[in-house]
Amino acid sequence: MKILDIAFKDLVRSARSFFLIGMTLAAPLLVTVLIYFAFGSMTSGDVSMTAIKVGVVNADVLPADAPLEVPLGENVRSMFFDESVQSWITASDYADEAAAREAVNAQEIGVAIIIPATFTEDYLAGKTDTAITILQDPTLTIGPTVVRDMVTTMLDGVAGGGIAYLIVNERMEANGKTLDPATVPSFFERYANWYADFQRALFHSPEKAALVVTSPAVSGETSNSLQTMMGLIMSGQLIFFSFFTGAYAMMSILQEAEEGTLARIFTTPTDRTTILAGKFLAVLFTVIIQGVVLLVAGHYLFKINWGETGSFTLSLLGQMFASVGLAVLLVSFIKTSKQAGPIFGGALTGLGMISGLFTTNIPIAAFDTMGNFTPQGWVLKAWRLSLAGQPASELIVPFLVLVVMGIVMFAIGAVMFRKRFA
Amino acid sequence: MSFAIEVKNLKKSFGDLQAVQDASFKADSGEVLSLLGPNGAGKSTTISMLSGLLAPTEGDASIMGHSITKEPEAAKKSLGVVPQDIALYPDLSARENLVFWGKMYGLRGAALKQRVDEVLETIGLADRQKDHVGKFSGGMKRRVNIGAALLHKPAVIIMDEPTVGIDPQSRRHILDNVKELNQKGMTVLYTTHYMEEAAELSDHIAIMDKGRVIAYGTHDELIKLVGEETRIDITLNTEGEKVLSAWRTTEGVSKIDSLDGKVTALVDDSNRVLPRLFEAASKVNVRITSVDIQEPNLETVFLHLTGRALRD
Repeated sequence: MKILDIAFKDLVRSARSFFLIGMTLAAPLLVTVLIYFAFGSMTSGDVSMTAIKVGVVNADVLPADAPLEVPLGENVRSMFFDESVQSWITASDYADEAAAREAVNAQEIGVAIIIPATFTEDYLAGKTDTAITILQDPTLTIGPTVVRDMVTTMLDGVAGGGIAYLIVNERMEANGKTLDPATVPSFFERYANWYADFQRALFHSPEKAALVVTSPAVSGETSNSLQTMMGLIMSGQLIFFSFFTGAYAMMSILQEAEEGTLARIFTTPTDRTTILAGKFLAVLFTVIIQGVVLLVAGHYLFKINWGETGSFTLSLLGQMFASVGLAVLLVSFIKTSKQAGPIFGGALTGLGMISGLFTTNIPIAAFDTMGNFTPQGWVLKAWRLSLAGQPASELIVPFLVLVVMGIVMFAIGAVMFRKRFA
Repeated sequence: MSFAIEVKNLKKSFGDLQAVQDASFKADSGEVLSLLGPNGAGKSTTISMLSGLLAPTEGDASIMGHSITKEPEAAKKSLGVVPQDIALYPDLSARENLVFWGKMYGLRGAALKQRVDEVLETIGLADRQKDHVGKFSGGMKRRVNIGAALLHKPAVIIMDEPTVGIDPQSRRHILDNVKELNQKGMTVLYTTHYMEEAAELSDHIAIMDKGRVIAYGTHDELIKLVGEETRIDITLNTEGEKVLSAWRTTEGVSKIDSLDGKVTALVDDSNRVLPRLFEAASKVNVRITSVDIQEPNLETVFLHLTGRALRD
């Protein structure tokens, strides 16, 4: 009963402490909201960005004897007028370079692409100094870079097509055959289609995303890689703040020692283990509240599916045991509350870093290995499994590891406390 | 006969430092026992052992017949401790503080509520019970500090220098509280370095110095230790060191000590000794600015026993 009395008293004091409320709820929620403003609309599928205004001067003409149906410059031009890019590129034609340059200077467009009249002719003649000129508004960065990448990608494809055409021609001649000029347009068309599919598969397909863990789709909603990314980022936040909050809440034992109330409790018929257990319970409750708030915030702001009920419950409970156990252990080494700031900051940030809490989206083998030796690393493993939709049975091992770690750390801390206050 | 407090050969060492050496004293039920001594005498260490904060290195003590080493929980149940410094939660109200401390002594439900109400009345803070203790004045905090030790109606209460650093009005209030508690049958162990407080409150006084109990008895019994000697307090126009060596060897002076520009001497006959003291002072160009001849008191006793003044 006294355990509950001590825990309740600590919780009331925590609720009246601006610092602890800030550390427990305000700071993590603030970070969550900031992340929401940065990425929230993406995870909801409502992507909006300012359209890039592109002006195209296509002076390219088809040479009389060209084995093509349309000049290559038209392929470049049509890329910016394609339906698939209309949501983020607004393209318009300009008669000549002077008009386009004037439009750029007037900031009517951000980028101008000048395709010379001899572009196809030079290409077919094998000239290597054929150039497409790109003019850009110097105040812009992202838009022109995107356009430049698109043109480069297209030209790589065109160059690749030329190489393929030459090789096919050579091989046929080597075999005593001649390429029928009538088949050349269809050859280029097939090559262009293949290249377009290749590019699409390389950059635009969600299935090709270079992420290890995918968040399972919420019923009736569309899961995407950004939600997965947000799930990992938020789990990193959740773990980091949980360990910090646990440590700072447990610091109440140092404050009580300095206030003299701890010594006074020792003069009452209350044993030391009861006192420590009461404090443990208060911190556990504080960290659980924080965890639940962040889970709910992550779910509603970013549509994160934290996994099956059993799985995220085990992850959360394991996290609680480990964070409070580590808190007891750390606090047992600290003599005064003034030492707590640098020690907590150093130890928890260091452990968080080597456990990969700040690089949750990037699988780094070294962090995975080091994470095997830290409570944060095991909590992250648990959350990764839960986010990946694994059933609770798959989380039993990390959960048990965390519980054992929590108990061992608590026991060491308790022994240290008993020695100090013997 | 069983005593409310019985201390037998209690020792406490911190490394090479012997904070308490063979301390022995006892208090009957319903009496006030004062531990008197200067700062660092071992008073707080002694009561820290009695209240379960420190384990004795050797020896034992009992509270209401319960050994502090063998039955610490039972001893603590009979004991209320008022720490020297305020030991309360500043962000909790007076009532919330008392409720918490009551629970730590095992009180629950209606009994707890009733005791909290009674204690709030006793300490005169019923009308401020919902205010946070952090907003209280020093005297009010002291009252709550005492109240928290009274909730479980302990048979013995230990008060560790409860009047240090407070205004005269609050000090008076606390001394009256101690008398009131004692009249209700509570045994009080009161530590202080103010000899007037010890003289006013105590049935028995144990004088401590350098970790030892150097005298124990009633006020009158202790005064008798001084015999016929008279205490003289002398104020000088300069530091006492210049004249002190001369006065130490003056005939009729048994003990002499200097503290804060004030010299305290024990002499056998003030009429005979004072002229000699004036003469010795004038030889070293020291001027005596005031002389106060006092009847023997506890300070005289301390000076008699240790050769040093009791004052801070």
